[in-house]
Amino acid sequence: MTYEGKDLLDLEPEERAREGIFLGFQYPVEIPGVNNAYLLKTAVNAKRKHQGLGEVDAFEFLKLAREKMAALGMDPKFLNRGVNEGFSGGEKKRNEILQMAMLEPKLAILDETDSGLDIDALKAVAEGVNSLRNPDRAIVLVTHYQRLLDYVQPDFVHVLSEGQIVRSGDKSLALELEDKGYDWVREAASA
Amino acid sequence: MSRQPHSIDELQDIVSRLPSTRNEDWKYTDLASARDISSRWLAAGRESLSLALQDEVEAVTHAIDANWIVIANGELQHPVDVNGASRLDDAPSSDTALAELNAALLKDGLRLRVEDALDKPIGILMIDGTEDASVSQAYVEIEFAPGASGEIIEYHASKGDADQYANTIVSVAVGDAASARHLRVQNRAAHHVQTGHTSVSVGRDANYTMSGFDLGGGLIRNDVIIDIAAAGAEVSFDGLYLAGEGQHIDNHTRVDHRVGPARSRQEYRGILNGHCRCVWNGKAIVHEGADGTDADQANHNLLLSEKAEIDAKPELEIYTDDVKCSHGTTVGQLDETSLFYLRSRGLDKRHATQVLTHAFASDLVARMPVDAAKEALATVVEHRLAELLDSDPDTFS
Amino acid sequence: MATESENIESLVNRRYEHGFVTDIATDSLPPGLDEGVVRAISARKNEPEFMLEWRLQAYRQWLTMREPEWAHVHYPKIDFNAISYFAAPKSDEDRPKSLDEVDPKLLETYDKLGIPLHERARLAGVAVDAVFDSVSVATTFKEKLSEAGVIFCSFSEAVIEHPELVQKYLGSVVPRRDNFYAALNSAVFSDGSFVYIPKGVRCPMELSTYFRINAANTGQFERTLIVADEGSHVSYLEGCTAPMRDENQLHAAVVELVALKDAEIKYSTVQNWYPGDENGKGGIYNFVTKRGDCRGANSKISWTQVETGSAITWKYPSCLLRGENSVGEFYSVAVTNNLQQADTGTKMIHIGRNTSSTIVSKGISAGKAQQAYRGLVRIMPQAEGARNHTQCDSLLIGKECGAHTFPYMEIKNPSARVEHEATTSKISANQLFYCRQRGISEEDAVNMIVNGFCKEVFKELPMEFAVEAQALLNVSLEGAVG
Repeated sequence: MTYEGKDLLDLEPEERAREGIFLGFQYPVEIPGVNNAYLLKTAVNAKRKHQGLGEVDAFEFLKLAREKMAALGMDPKFLNRGVNEGFSGGEKKRNEILQMAMLEPKLAILDETDSGLDIDALKAVAEGVNSLRNPDRAIVLVTHYQRLLDYVQPDFVHVLSEGQIVRSGDKSLALELEDKGYDWVREAASA
Repeated sequence: MSRQPHSIDELQDIVSRLPSTRNEDWKYTDLASARDISSRWLAAGRESLSLALQDEVEAVTHAIDANWIVIANGELQHPVDVNGASRLDDAPSSDTALAELNAALLKDGLRLRVEDALDKPIGILMIDGTEDASVSQAYVEIEFAPGASGEIIEYHASKGDADQYANTIVSVAVGDAASARHLRVQNRAAHHVQTGHTSVSVGRDANYTMSGFDLGGGLIRNDVIIDIAAAGAEVSFDGLYLAGEGQHIDNHTRVDHRVGPARSRQEYRGILNGHCRCVWNGKAIVHEGADGTDADQANHNLLLSEKAEIDAKPELEIYTDDVKCSHGTTVGQLDETSLFYLRSRGLDKRHATQVLTHAFASDLVARMPVDAAKEALATVVEHRLAELLDSDPDTFS
Repeated sequence: MATESENIESLVNRRYEHGFVTDIATDSLPPGLDEGVVRAISARKNEPEFMLEWRLQAYRQWLTMREPEWAHVHYPKIDFNAISYFAAPKSDEDRPKSLDEVDPKLLETYDKLGIPLHERARLAGVAVDAVFDSVSVATTFKEKLSEAGVIFCSFSEAVIEHPELVQKYLGSVVPRRDNFYAALNSAVFSDGSFVYIPKGVRCPMELSTYFRINAANTGQFERTLIVADEGSHVSYLEGCTAPMRDENQLHAAVVELVALKDAEIKYSTVQNWYPGDENGKGGIYNFVTKRGDCRGANSKISWTQVETGSAITWKYPSCLLRGENSVGEFYSVAVTNNLQQADTGTKMIHIGRNTSSTIVSKGISAGKAQQAYRGLVRIMPQAEGARNHTQCDSLLIGKECGAHTFPYMEIKNPSARVEHEATTSKISANQLFYCRQRGISEEDAVNMIVNGFCKEVFKELPMEFAVEAQALLNVSLEGAVG
């Protein structure tokens, strides 16, 4: 599995992160007692150090974090809480998007970021994803449902079955899937 | 193993070795009265006339629809008309003085094997009542075959003014994938003494649920020892102790997690009124290699009187890292705000107190694992609570 | 107050004038303990008669006592006759002349802990006169204390200069025969600190064993007595984060705190005695009796400790809450790694009305270490309206370590409200992966999680101490995950 000339499987998770890969978790873990802002600042600086950039100081960091949070409709007080500690499902997912926004990855893989979200949280997450779209960044959304794709228009849709991409297309493929279910793709693939 | 005839001296020796408060596990409970009753009874030739117990037996067996086996003053009452039940000649002796005493003095042991799904609970009523001071032993072995399921009721009662000391041992083996539900009620006469030992081994993917209710007795000590030696076991047990004037109720529990993943949870609650003392000591031991253990202990106490005393000790001993263990203990009074709220709605203090203590006890009654006994037990608990609240004039001052 | 300030002056100065130039080699006593040894110790210190008598009674009581065995620790039996009870300080000739002669591994640790250069030499046991350069610090400190009328001196000094205070308070919190090790300490204690804060005085600075310059050689049987008179306030820091090496394997200290009406004592400890190597070889046995007596109404005693050192720790800083509305607090972080064993906790004895206590204990166990929390909350019948809240958490790192909790609650008054919560968990693979996925290395992630776990206790430490303690924790757990 090669990414920018490096075998990803050879890299430790933190090395992958510093290389610009972001993994959004389906179930972000809670880390009691560890301040959200602290984790974020440490992560940002770890990456900057890796890139040969200077560390951001607390002041710059807070300014940046507040901006990103405002854009995501997140209350700044989340910065002072424990990482995901006592967060609702929607808050955890927004927190994932905030981390993505702060770490500015080249490749983001969001694993079922839409699961368990109410419609407001889903919209906020989708807006966050949309605001981070740019030509230098690839975002892979893993989902079972069309509803996220109502808000995030994908450039490509791939159907993954038993570890293989069995069909690829544009956004219309997702609509077709929502309509007809998955069985026909599987049958077509095995035929 | 055949039963050894014991001389009086040998028996007196066992009695003298019953645990003392110097033993950490008995720090708060003094068995002096058990030793005293035993040695007087031994000296008096181990004879005491049985009282008529028929009314008391019927009061229990008619109230709860179950297949009943009765052990009166340590003797199995015939006929025993329950499938899988048989008389046991010998109790296995063990290294504790209490087990030795049991083995040395046991008249009838009982063995019970549950082969498949029981359609009706099996009840075992252990009742004592004698003219003069007496000592009785009971030993019950219950085995749930792999995949079997059923409900067991263990009921302890006593009658009479004479001193009495009952020493009971119940051993439960829950086979692989079996499901056992166990209700234990202790409702002895106010000044009687009991040491009750319950040991349970739980097999692979088996389920064991128990509730214990301590309503009566003078000096009561219960030991519940649960051994989880196979993966996938689910163990859940509760206890409610209601202690009034002159009572001493001690509940010691120990859960050994030897293999994981497995889960155990326990919750004991106590309501204390009048000059009384309760002890709760819950121990969970997670042995090396018992990865994926989830153990939870809770103990809550309501102290209603100036003279009530509680000693609580939740212990965890953990020898592996893949565990989730927690315990919580509280000691307190009824919530002032709730009391005030009820009184502002027109309930007098006594009534408000009653409502709230009831609520405190009711969760455990509701969770009680044997449906057939629920109604009867709820009535007994209610009755005992009312008695308890009336017993101490201080409560409502 | 003149005499007191003179005392401080003489204490501070004596060090620089004389150092350890007396021929102390001849002062050492051979191993073994009998009445003669107790008399000799007292004589060497020129103690008044009352002190000798007190020691002798303690010794006689000790003879009748047995070593406690209830703690959840295992170690070979101690031969009390193999110990030398008056080990004079090392002479300068035996010490390293400069840092160049010190074990580089030790220096590396100092570096990680960010310990100032001049302090490293003192800690490493480099000959004191050669390195101690903080005379100006000591002078400022001495002036400030004497202005306030605070007595802060070595215990030996106090016995001679303030016998009336010593006689009044010594053993009034930890009686001679309180326990086996307290009795031993009472008989043979070497030295320690004495603090007296007069009525209404707020001690103008944090008192630290670091400033009481001769602390380095208080020896294995340290004795500390702190008395806060009515309405006074003092914060005392014991120990330091740097690993302390000591030739004596057994340490049995006694600390007594007395808080009179409206007084407050805050006692913070960072203990980092040598824990032994990865195989459990060497290492200090630290068997300590620490107790505070909230004797007056509205008094408060607060214990905060960060314990990372010693091979075996046996320690329960406690509070006797006698005064009405008095408050006891215990905040503790204990770290055990490799083959360390710790049995530690606290006792809160509620005697007065409306007394309250808080216990926050955080235990971290790694490697093959065994750690136990042992606590007692006792509400006496007369302690109307008493309150306690206990939070007791354990964090496990690795398969072979153990964490145990033995809390005792004895409630003899129905108006009490007592709450106890405990949790045990491990640093989960998920938490580590999550952090690593955000680009944070495993070691940093562990440090971050551990510091988060201990936050409630660190915030009780004086600022500089808290920063050092955090660094210490990280060093102590180095290599625990892997």
